[in-house]
Amino acid sequence: MKTDALIDSLARDAGPVRPLRSPLRRIWGWLAIALGFAGAMVWAIGPRPDLTERMLEARFLLEQGAALATAITAAMAALALTMPDAARIWRWLPVVPAVAWLGTLGLGCLRDWAQMGPEGLRLTPDPECLVYIALIGSLPLLALVLMLRRGAPLRPSWTLALAALAAAAIGNFALRLFHMQDAALMVLVWQVGAVALIAAIAALCGRAVLRWPGVPA
Amino acid sequence: MSPASEDAPDSGSSERRHAALDGLMRAAQQGDRHAYHLLLQEVAQRMRRLIAARAPWLGQADIEDIVQDVLLSLHMARATWDPARPFMPWIAAIARNRLTDHARRYKRRQAFDQAASDLAEVFSTTPGQSHAEGVVNLMSVRSAMADLSPGERRAFELVRLRELSLAEAAQQSETTVGAIKVAVHRASRKLKRAINTGGEERK
Repeated sequence: MKTDALIDSLARDAGPVRPLRSPLRRIWGWLAIALGFAGAMVWAIGPRPDLTERMLEARFLLEQGAALATAITAAMAALALTMPDAARIWRWLPVVPAVAWLGTLGLGCLRDWAQMGPEGLRLTPDPECLVYIALIGSLPLLALVLMLRRGAPLRPSWTLALAALAAAAIGNFALRLFHMQDAALMVLVWQVGAVALIAAIAALCGRAVLRWPGVPA
Repeated sequence: MSPASEDAPDSGSSERRHAALDGLMRAAQQGDRHAYHLLLQEVAQRMRRLIAARAPWLGQADIEDIVQDVLLSLHMARATWDPARPFMPWIAAIARNRLTDHARRYKRRQAFDQAASDLAEVFSTTPGQSHAEGVVNLMSVRSAMADLSPGERRAFELVRLRELSLAEAAQQSETTVGAIKVAVHRASRKLKRAINTGGEERK
């Protein structure tokens, strides 16, 4: 196809478009969907019996707050990566809450060890965490991918990895509300590990899910 | 254009040109097809110049491929432009991204071309080898022919070399079709064995 013909056809088909709003404004719609779905899943599975007790615990609140903040900032970073002239600062946003999340769990491991000795750091298999996190994160990820596909796939692997990190962090946030597992090392390995694994798999799929259009023959 | 504006420094005029592009893109987002057409033409022209300057080794067709990719990408991503911001950094980010993709593809193609030329080099020696092999095979056939019985040699010559039919060969040799068939079969087997042995000896 000749370039002039391409220009003619693009101009002919172009209707009005509504400019996408900034990630900060678009994130709330996604968050409502993600938290709504996560809440419904917690309600369906049944919240843990000691939830009220846990809600008064600073450590639990800190871990949950960090997980939620990681989810929100990762989703905003993913959205920003699809905006060609977005400031670079967006993509570094999730680093702070993610470090805080890992930090609180790391400190939790130390505290568990100080309180219970080696027993506090016992690692037993808990693979259903991955299943729950993937299940609860599925709809938030789908919603975010649909939003991302309206943008420009400038860095598809990073974008999808951040989107999956956001969705899986929501999954983990919800999981803690019904799954009776508070040992920091177990949470770190099986839950945060699952979140990282999901993000890594998503990174590999980035180019297949988010791509530029091809030139018609 | 007023004389004052003609005297304006380059940065000023380029700022004005950029502002004109902002205006075209704003109108395009609102559905003005004419403005969009002008904008795409302007972007295509700029991209063509930029690519030709940056990668003078590219052919016209390659340059047009990249220009078209940038235009399609602009089209796909046009909702991501914020009308409150300048157009140039936005399209530059898209163009940079597409050029990187092309460079990656180009490098891969170069690697592929290199591999193809390496292969061609390897295969370019093949005719010589096959000629040498052919000579050796012919010699093996000749020596093997000497081992055939007179009947087998004659049958083989008539059917395989002169390409006569079995009936014609039988008539010329004053024998039956069946006998010719058997003789050709035996001769073929002996020759095949002789050539295979020759090949193994060369290895």
